Amino acid sequence: MSKKGRDSSRRVKEMQAAQRRAEQRRRNLIVGGVAVAVIAVIVGIGIAVQSSRDEAGTVLVPTGTVDKFGIPRGDTSAPVTMDLYEDFQCPVCKMYEGYLADTYTKNIDAGTLRIVYRPMAFLNDYSSRALETAACVLSQDGSAAYLKLHDLLFQNQPSEQGPWPSDADLADLAAQAGASGSAVADCQAADTYKGWVKAATDAASKAHVVGTPTMFIDGKEVAIVGKNQQDAIDLVQQTIDTAAAGASSTG
Amino acid sequence: MTERWAAFWRWGGLVARLVVGGVWIVAGWLKLPDPAESVRAVRAYDLLPEAIVPTVGHGLPILEIIIGVMLVAGAGTRVAAAVSFLLQVAFIIGIASAWARGLKIDCGCFGGGGASASASVTDQYPWDIARDTGLAALSLLLFLFPRTALSADRLWTLDPDPDPDHDEEFV
Repeated sequence: MSKKGRDSSRRVKEMQAAQRRAEQRRRNLIVGGVAVAVIAVIVGIGIAVQSSRDEAGTVLVPTGTVDKFGIPRGDTSAPVTMDLYEDFQCPVCKMYEGYLADTYTKNIDAGTLRIVYRPMAFLNDYSSRALETAACVLSQDGSAAYLKLHDLLFQNQPSEQGPWPSDADLADLAAQAGASGSAVADCQAADTYKGWVKAATDAASKAHVVGTPTMFIDGKEVAIVGKNQQDAIDLVQQTIDTAAAGASSTG
Repeated sequence: MTERWAAFWRWGGLVARLVVGGVWIVAGWLKLPDPAESVRAVRAYDLLPEAIVPTVGHGLPILEIIIGVMLVAGAGTRVAAAVSFLLQVAFIIGIASAWARGLKIDCGCFGGGGASASASVTDQYPWDIARDTGLAALSLLLFLFPRTALSADRLWTLDPDPDPDHDEEFV
């Protein structure tokens, strides 16, 4: 082959290679575009499906609550209010319930403190079932029975790994707290407060509660988690005393 | 790109696709059953405005699964790897900022999460960040070098392996 012939065949090869590169770029653009479109469409559909599954449905608020999701304990006229977020499945909640029970009772009996329990159910299915049962008791039998069940639920707390009490076991516990067991069973079976439990948990999330137990005294967070019993008692008592002193000097 | 790197990355890249894609599929799948929980997990980071929190919470698990499937199949690898990289970087920023602000949140990386019942959860942050950094690095490599063995992308690639001696082996 002459030099001229070799040159022209090389040029032809280069042109073919350039065409293939251009074709490949075109294909890459198409594949990339299709990939982006597929992602967008599926995510769009997925958002619609997930948000429809996330509807709370009708939220029936049990009677006896304070601003829909709180259960009060103590005198309404008490100068200091504690908001306490708890999950019935939460072992740390159980621990601090034990540590602080006497402190709570002492200050409530003295007329200084009012606790508003703000239950939430974010750990597992048992969290939700326990709180639904408690809501049934609150609505049917009042806050005294609810508060008794609250203590019983923590005393009989199952491990986070199970096995968990059935709804019937929870109804038995409710009966021990003074509720009518069969009425509670009906209330559970009808999923009466399922929507409320979800709404209560979302309300806690919107209040920036990112863990349990979370305690607020007169709206200020009190960091008890991680403290030993004596330190927790001292912190809570001091905070209550300071808040009470502030309330009496201004009011 | 040296020839040795190319030879390594054909199979190394396949492993990277399977690892990163597999993690995305598992992470997304575990979050699917409880949309309310994934919304709370997003809200717990306290970084996004409330108006878009539910949309992000609902869409994220789906996006994770699609990205995972695309990476495992090797379909649209470059686009999937880009999204994967950006998501990992966003997660690293979220976890680091939660850590810096002293927020105690379970990262929600594999379902659950958003809020934590235990005090020791902050100990997890360095590990979460280390894992996400590794996944981000692999994603970036897949974005830069999307051609790997046994990928769907080979179907629409004109010269999957420029070296003709290896053509048969990898188609």
